[in-house]
Amino acid sequence: MKRRVAATAAIVLSMGGLVASAHRLDEYLQATIISVEKDHVQASMRLIPGVAVSSPVIASIDSNGDGFFSEAEQRAYAERVLDDLSVTVDGNRLTPKLASVDFPSIEQMKEGLGEIHIEFTADLQRGGPNRILILENHHQSQNAAYLVNCLVPLDHDIRIVDQTRNEQQSFYQLDYVQSGGPSPSAALQWWTGIRGWADSAGFASLFRLGMRHIAEGTDHLLFLLALLLPSPLIVAGSHWAGFAGVRRSLLRILRIVTAFTLGHSITLALAAWGLIRVPSRPIEVLIAVSILVSSIHALRPLFPGKEAGIATFFGLIHGLAFATTLGHLGLGHWERVAGILAFNLGIETMQLAVVAITMPSLILMSRTRAYSFLRIGGALFAGFASTGWIAERLFGVHNWAGVVVDDVAHHSVWIGGALFLTSVGCWQLRNLLDQRLTTTAPTFDLAKSAPQVSTVGHSRVVAEIE
Amino acid sequence: MRVHSMKRVRGISALAVIWLLVIATTAQTATSRIVGAANAFLSTLDAKQRQSVLFAFDDNEQRARWSNFPVAVVHRGGISLKELSSTQRSAAMALLSSALSRRGYEKIQQIMEGDEVNKLNEANNGPGGNFGPFSRNGGNRSRSDAIFGRDLYYISLLGSPSEKNPWMLQFGGHHLALNITIAGDRGILTPTLTGAQPALYTENGKTVRPLGEESDKALALLNALSDGQRKQAILRYRVADLVLGPGQDGVTIQPEGLRASAMDDRQRSMLLDLEAEWAGIIHESAAAARMAQLKAEMNETWFAWSGPATAAPGSNITAYYRIQGPHLVIEYAPQGLGGDPSMHVHTMYRDPTNDYGRGLTKQ
Repeated sequence: MKRRVAATAAIVLSMGGLVASAHRLDEYLQATIISVEKDHVQASMRLIPGVAVSSPVIASIDSNGDGFFSEAEQRAYAERVLDDLSVTVDGNRLTPKLASVDFPSIEQMKEGLGEIHIEFTADLQRGGPNRILILENHHQSQNAAYLVNCLVPLDHDIRIVDQTRNEQQSFYQLDYVQSGGPSPSAALQWWTGIRGWADSAGFASLFRLGMRHIAEGTDHLLFLLALLLPSPLIVAGSHWAGFAGVRRSLLRILRIVTAFTLGHSITLALAAWGLIRVPSRPIEVLIAVSILVSSIHALRPLFPGKEAGIATFFGLIHGLAFATTLGHLGLGHWERVAGILAFNLGIETMQLAVVAITMPSLILMSRTRAYSFLRIGGALFAGFASTGWIAERLFGVHNWAGVVVDDVAHHSVWIGGALFLTSVGCWQLRNLLDQRLTTTAPTFDLAKSAPQVSTVGHSRVVAEIE
Repeated sequence: MRVHSMKRVRGISALAVIWLLVIATTAQTATSRIVGAANAFLSTLDAKQRQSVLFAFDDNEQRARWSNFPVAVVHRGGISLKELSSTQRSAAMALLSSALSRRGYEKIQQIMEGDEVNKLNEANNGPGGNFGPFSRNGGNRSRSDAIFGRDLYYISLLGSPSEKNPWMLQFGGHHLALNITIAGDRGILTPTLTGAQPALYTENGKTVRPLGEESDKALALLNALSDGQRKQAILRYRVADLVLGPGQDGVTIQPEGLRASAMDDRQRSMLLDLEAEWAGIIHESAAAARMAQLKAEMNETWFAWSGPATAAPGSNITAYYRIQGPHLVIEYAPQGLGGDPSMHVHTMYRDPTNDYGRGLTKQ
């Protein structure tokens, strides 16, 4: 960084002129403010090349090199900027049209003071109520500093739901809801009524928001995963023992997930409705505690057979945390019902996706001895993370727990894949060993006596029930 | 007995009269004080100077003629302190101080003093010494004299000072733009830009950070947030500069970050206290009215942060933050220039519905 600044300073010196980029020497600031309206999108761009990068920009505008930005040159440059943009709404590429251009003098620009103003509009096709606008800017990306924002819509039928950007802001996504389309026909069916109601709340956008919320809310997922870890196993005294069977495992997982959903739906609804209000810090501490409890349970059964009840109880707490996100959106009373539903369904879908991805691995692997490594390892990880979170949330002790978990979550696809491959490998290995066993000794006795064997202790258990 | 009580009555009424007189003189409203100070300042000027100081109230060009840039780079209207005699200059500063709170006036002086330090640094080190970019000829003193320093602040009046009709007082230069609209007993400070470079310097052995509170209070608030709140407050993208800097009057962008309705009372009062660093620059009675408004709208106010969540002890943050409410935009944007973003900052204070008092005066 220092070297870059020094190099910039050298360039600055060599230019000799009054060097006046107040602040951005070596960056090309490109600030865009978008406004969405019913049938078109409007945007105003401010382009300010820093003093150290202005010469190539000037050269590219002043194509005939006469030291003057002619009208034709200005338009040509502005068109090039628009060519470097990609604006889509609902996946359809828009064609931005220049509305106005305003250029500074070459002298101002040499000093790093010049602001180019470009305004453009683009017509918008009629579409559904849930709309997604994506703006990508690739103009001079090697030294650009992008800023993208949108105006608060003046049209009350348009409501912004979410904005997402990449780190550089070269990618910008705007999720918004546009209601008040063509008025429905007199023969209003109940279905269109429901559709309209759902649309007014931005059903699809909120659904996506819910999905994103759970995908990013690593603590919620960690709780659920820790609780699911021992679900394919049977209990032997104070230990986890062998595989409980496919159907029993599936039923348990289903029960736990449903119970968790039930719990968080209740409090999410109550809190989003404003009927209960709980400060967020204690909730976050309790969420961390819930992970700790379920990770201990994964090590040694604390509440065998009562997982569903525990999941409901902690679900109530997690739901309160979900509500904060929803509370920000300023939904009307009536829309809120649809909003909560959509948001909750989004959470649910993401949750089920995570369960669907991990469950086969768990069930496969739990038939083998290797499962205790996964269970204990996973439980220790969740325990470590939750202790870190508790320390941070309760005493403000900053630690690496959150960072590590986020890192792991970042690579979740790879980890999930590796887990699946490992579990398939373990299972195959066990089958091989089994086959060898069957050739040397009959196994039906072992199978019959499985329940007794399992009580001896998990280390010896290789038997299965099914 | 009767004589005695007559004496007492007379004594009491004399006291009452004196008391009323004292009240009458001190109960002069802030506006009348400012108008008095403005007229006193104008009376020290000659005709030509007065002409360069005075503009029409609805002169939109002059309204918007402010910037974070040094005055040699972006020319300001009005007259600079450098062009004023010492009497005229003290009248100008008296006018400014009548319109500001004590803390506000002190902040402005620290910003101006910082520019003086900047000038000396430039002259001593030459350009590149602290990577100061505004020097032309190897940073000799005469050049930096013309660009930086406590003399290069401009004052202008839009409209004529009045207790009833709206008028404006502008004061600014490098890293400073105060736009004060006086409308009856109302005082509006939006839009206002403050900045500092160096953001930390020593004066008479004392460390001065003109915008230190803006940095410290914001970091304290961020640290007071819970994990989940912080996750919402911290934006996942870089914000390279002010979004609503000079030229962006009246623009309302979609707010982002953490909404104060999701904060607890302590966090909300910390946020309000942070807002007071800008809202409290103007004189006390106008500041009180503004703070009441900001407090009432607290639940619709958002706090967003982008950048490192830590700062070296005793120095400024290097992160950008934004506070936005129905009638408020505050931005704090560290600047990369000079290599150390904690040493150079620009801030913006706006009410998009009421820049230059437009919401009040309908102009």
